[in-house]
Amino acid sequence: MSAHSHVEGQLPHEPEKATLEGRNKILGFWLFLGAEVVLFGTLFSAFLALRDKVGDGNPTADELFNLSTVAIATFILLTSSLTSVFATQALHAGKKNAMIGWLIVTVLFGLAFLGLEIYEFAEYVHEGHGFTTSAFSSSFYTLVGFHGAHVAFGVLWIGLIIGQVLKKGLTVVTAPKVYVSGLYWHFIDVVWVFIFTVVYLMGKVG
Amino acid sequence: MAAVNHSATEETKKRHKHEGPQKHIVAYIMSLVLTLIAFAAVIAGEVNTSFIIFILLMMAGLQVFVQMGFWMHMKDKGHGFATISILGGIVIAFTMIIMAEYWVWW
Repeated sequence: MSAHSHVEGQLPHEPEKATLEGRNKILGFWLFLGAEVVLFGTLFSAFLALRDKVGDGNPTADELFNLSTVAIATFILLTSSLTSVFATQALHAGKKNAMIGWLIVTVLFGLAFLGLEIYEFAEYVHEGHGFTTSAFSSSFYTLVGFHGAHVAFGVLWIGLIIGQVLKKGLTVVTAPKVYVSGLYWHFIDVVWVFIFTVVYLMGKVG
Repeated sequence: MAAVNHSATEETKKRHKHEGPQKHIVAYIMSLVLTLIAFAAVIAGEVNTSFIIFILLMMAGLQVFVQMGFWMHMKDKGHGFATISILGGIVIAFTMIIMAEYWVWW
């Protein structure tokens, strides 16, 4: 890879696409995201089929959900998507330190979101809404929990990428990883848009 | 990105024009507004349910356009395969959802 000869600060424009390997990584990642759409689509379809199947005496969506918690979670994740795009812009500008700074902010927002979700789930279990309480509760925890697991994985992944960039610098090898993790993070945010719409808001409407 | 057709020499010499943060901040504000409309529609809650659900799905759909277009750069050139891949996923996912909504408890 001749691009290795670039001195730091002289990275090519859009370093994530400077090598064939980088371009292939991005293409492959889009194929993965297509598969993720199917994965979440099936979880959503299961939830939609089962969301009214609450059973006798178990909490319904309307009784359970607290819109202010959901609004805060939505705001946190939306803001983290913006800081993630700032990281990608810093990457394009070749500003390594700014990029790492924005990635750290993104990870912190991700952790805040996770904390809120864990608190929310604990609250639901306390109110008698366990994983096996009803068909509604099982499909709810599977869908929302799967999204939460994606956030957790994203936090871990971006955290490791920060470590790698600190160790190896911003090169044509590390740049595609940063770019692709940004795509992943935005995708997680897009999935959350449907979760707060379909699960929480439509749960309140009935 | 607007200007991608640099020659190889330009690539190394010139400082590139990088897109500013403005349009991403606009996308962020648009997402916030769409989210607010969705929450407000539910909190106001007087209108009939199917109309609110229609509003909610519209807001979600618009927000996906904003976020995937601007933040994931899908509106930029060279995202043909990305679009095919995501649309392929949406077709399968949508089929599953229609199936679950209208067929499972038929």
